[in-house]
Amino acid sequence: MAENIISIENLSKSFGDHEVLRKIDISVDKGEVICIVGSSGSGKSTLLRCINRLEHQTSGRILYHGKEIRDVQREINKYRAKVGMVFQSFNLFNNMTVLENCMCCTRKVLHLSKKDAFDRAITHLKKVGMAPYINARPAQLSGGQKQRVAIARALCMNPEVLLFDEPTSALDPEMVGEVLEVMKELAETGLTMIIVTHEMAFARDVSTRTIFMDKGYVAEDASPDVLFTAPKNPRTREFLSRYLAG
Amino acid sequence: MLFNITEPTNSLEWVIFLAEKYSNMFIQGTILTLYIAISGTILGFILGYVVGLIQDIRIRKEDNIIKSAVFKLIKAICRIYVEIFRGTPMIVQAMIVYYGLRQSGVELSSVAAGILVTVLNTGAYMAETVRAGINSIDTGQREGALAMGMSPLKTMLFIVLPQAFRNILPEMANTFLTNLKMTSVLNVIAVQELFMAAKTAGANYYKYYEAYLVIAVIYFVLCFVFSRLFSLIEKKMEGKKDYVLAVEYMEAQ
Repeated sequence: MAENIISIENLSKSFGDHEVLRKIDISVDKGEVICIVGSSGSGKSTLLRCINRLEHQTSGRILYHGKEIRDVQREINKYRAKVGMVFQSFNLFNNMTVLENCMCCTRKVLHLSKKDAFDRAITHLKKVGMAPYINARPAQLSGGQKQRVAIARALCMNPEVLLFDEPTSALDPEMVGEVLEVMKELAETGLTMIIVTHEMAFARDVSTRTIFMDKGYVAEDASPDVLFTAPKNPRTREFLSRYLAG
Repeated sequence: MLFNITEPTNSLEWVIFLAEKYSNMFIQGTILTLYIAISGTILGFILGYVVGLIQDIRIRKEDNIIKSAVFKLIKAICRIYVEIFRGTPMIVQAMIVYYGLRQSGVELSSVAAGILVTVLNTGAYMAETVRAGINSIDTGQREGALAMGMSPLKTMLFIVLPQAFRNILPEMANTFLTNLKMTSVLNVIAVQELFMAAKTAGANYYKYYEAYLVIAVIYFVLCFVFSRLFSLIEKKMEGKKDYVLAVEYMEAQ
């Protein structure tokens, strides 16, 4: 059996009276590529933000290698360094060049030497095809390029799990392709990934497991083959009807 | 002497006459004005950044009671300080600080009191500016750093503040120019700055209009020079519009 990295137990989150996540149970094993799909407002992004501790759950637990991360800043920082995140709006540091973006966290968080940080940055920037742009600033790049840099930046931390929060939703169709391509290559390297996405074809193609979320619940958690061809839950069927018909 | 006017007849001649006769006093006044404005502004900026950062501290629901109580108290003190110093005129603050300290037995020179007042005043305004500057930075910048394990303090120092700094630089320049002119009110606590020099020079000949014209010109030149200097710095900070492709990493297509 594969090693368990993150397990989410009975996780609930509400903003005031509004319940966004309801009793979520998900277990993530090493090497899994999990795509989370579902309509907007179903709690997908909030779930990812809870996993990275950007949001604090109302109840329930998130275990990392079987241990709960205590509410101590130092522990949270350490945990986050292992659980990278790629955002919908890229969130590249605007005051830095591409290279500085990729070296910043490895230097300040992992305390790598300048040379090691540089080598690592170049390696990952090459992987995403952005190495020639090391001197550019985020504002000078296209959306697709920014997202590729953001992925390289996250990879520089050597994360155990990489979370993707709708990484292609802010991109035009042409750029979506280049980012998905990079993500597909990553998935093939065996990196554990949790991806919130609206790209159904990609989810079906790349994920080892697909989760359909609806109104804060995990409505269905199955292999992509099952979920996309013979969904058990009527809501999943309804949601996927357009995709399945097409 | 440059013009050698001994018996001035019109206003222009009086201006030149006074400027020459009291040149030492005006130069000393200018130096003191600059000294108070520069030191007061720099220290005030530091104070403003500290207070602004404290006001930005977020108290989370998960924090324990003692920690959040301490933070709330410090934040309240900062808030009161900012409100008081933004809500009273600097000239009144100068009087209260100077005479208040004297009465309570602290012998503070008028220059030191002047700098202290400038620092406190600048700090209060800067605190608000810094807070607004920090708020102007997209939360995504903060989250991007936090999500990779950077501590909140480092995130503030390396990601948020450098960007906020660029946004508030024009306001900082403004504050300095204001301070340069506001030092004139410090004559009420007997600081021998420019305004005091004009007052003295004018009183000797009953030529106030001309004496104040002299310092008006000096203030204007100082402000003009500094404002040009700040625009240059701002331009520098904007950085290059283009970038160099690192061709060594280009892959053959």
